[in-house]
Amino acid sequence: MNRRTLLAAGVALAMIPAAAMAHGPTRQKVTVTTEVAAEPAEVWAAIGDFQDLTWHPAVVSQSGEGGNEIDATRALYLSDQGAEGPRIDEVLYKYSDEKMSYSYRITEVAVEVLPVTNYSSHLTVMPRDGGGSVVEWRGAFYRGYPNNDPPPELNDEAAIAAVTGVYEAGLQALVERFGEPSS
Amino acid sequence: MSRLRDLALGLSLTLAALPAAGEIAFVTCQTGDAVSVLDLDSGEERARWDVPGKPAGVAVGGGAVFTVSPDSKTVRRYALNGEVTASVVLDGGPIGTAYDARNNRLFVSDWYNARLWTLDGTTLELEAELPAGAAPAGLALSPDGRLLASAERDADRISLYDTATLALLRSVPVGTRPFGLGFAPDGRLFVGNVGSNDLSVIDPQAGEVLATVAVGERPYGVAFAAGRAFVTNQYENTLSVIALADLSPVATLDTGEYPEGIAATADGRIAVANWFDNTLSVIDAESLETVALLDTADGPRAFGAFLYDGDLP
Repeated sequence: MNRRTLLAAGVALAMIPAAAMAHGPTRQKVTVTTEVAAEPAEVWAAIGDFQDLTWHPAVVSQSGEGGNEIDATRALYLSDQGAEGPRIDEVLYKYSDEKMSYSYRITEVAVEVLPVTNYSSHLTVMPRDGGGSVVEWRGAFYRGYPNNDPPPELNDEAAIAAVTGVYEAGLQALVERFGEPSS
Repeated sequence: MSRLRDLALGLSLTLAALPAAGEIAFVTCQTGDAVSVLDLDSGEERARWDVPGKPAGVAVGGGAVFTVSPDSKTVRRYALNGEVTASVVLDGGPIGTAYDARNNRLFVSDWYNARLWTLDGTTLELEAELPAGAAPAGLALSPDGRLLASAERDADRISLYDTATLALLRSVPVGTRPFGLGFAPDGRLFVGNVGSNDLSVIDPQAGEVLATVAVGERPYGVAFAAGRAFVTNQYENTLSVIALADLSPVATLDTGEYPEGIAATADGRIAVANWFDNTLSVIDAESLETVALLDTADGPRAFGAFLYDGDLP
């Protein structure tokens, strides 16, 4: 999914009551992996900085504080309007250079931008058998609609489709950048 | 009711349970629309039941397994062999459940409508609705069966009901966003507060918070064995172990990813459902070693009393 489709997910919705942390009954999970030709250290050097997700095609620019320390924050700007446009605010809660993995949560996002709540995610680079790397992106989240009987654009399927699309777009960009493994 | 009597009762129950031959876990697997029936002694998955509607809540008792599927709003009663003997659709957001053996009654929380349902434990016929605070979730029965406790997540409190009369006895403010809860063998109520990352320890008779104990991130469920409380920390992939005697921290154990439902066997093992990993960890409550890691269907929640101390038919 490219930036335009991410933004196109925004439709005119009635305001959802902003009950903090309220969520639907069924947490969803998505795991997407891809294989690339470059070795893990090279891939991690490119994507292992919490303060730089601009390798993802949907992220136009970002700002943040705290580097790669626990509780570091970042704001992902999904248009050329920066902080004024659609954005996703996130916080880092686990980081390991050694394991080539970091974990973060969304602290703030409009459901028109990404139809999820209570979202957490891990990004991990692992060695691939036969050379190259496996990149795994996984997330856990609830649908965008916290109440009973969600409208279709905010139901479980919509949440899964949106997150899957984000991960696939990011990992596809890595394949284009680093190439597919030869064997 | 004295602590001592509770303790004696708990002890006699434990001793009575010791000669039992088996220990079976009925693990609700929400995204897999299934219950994994796991034999904790052999490590075998004895059966996998199809349970539509994204089952989360579970209760075992009265020779039956009760499941709650919030997506289809359906509560089902299964015989231990997997046969559905009753089912009911509840108009609301059913999520948590607890079975009261003394009155053959099932309690179900309504996440969306601030109430509890009570159902006949055999037919699942709706008997009554009880008032509750906002977003009731986890339910638990006291060791003597006289009290029902309900965690009211969006009201930041718990409520206690008399299981004989169904009267609401009292509500007690706790930490932020209580979700799961359980009674210790001594009768104290332990409540996991997912918003404030702590446990509220409550004297249910006095309606007082006796202590607040810090645990890991997003404490979800609590179980008791070997004089200890075990708390699943969803966001931290750990289990907090706390001494019941003085509420001091004993250890923090690693679990799988997103540990959720937790329960204790009669012989002192702790079973933990790892939601992201599709596994059930079995931990020795004394040595704190993980003694088994069993595969489940997709998305194990096991939200409730999911263990059966006995053999399958």
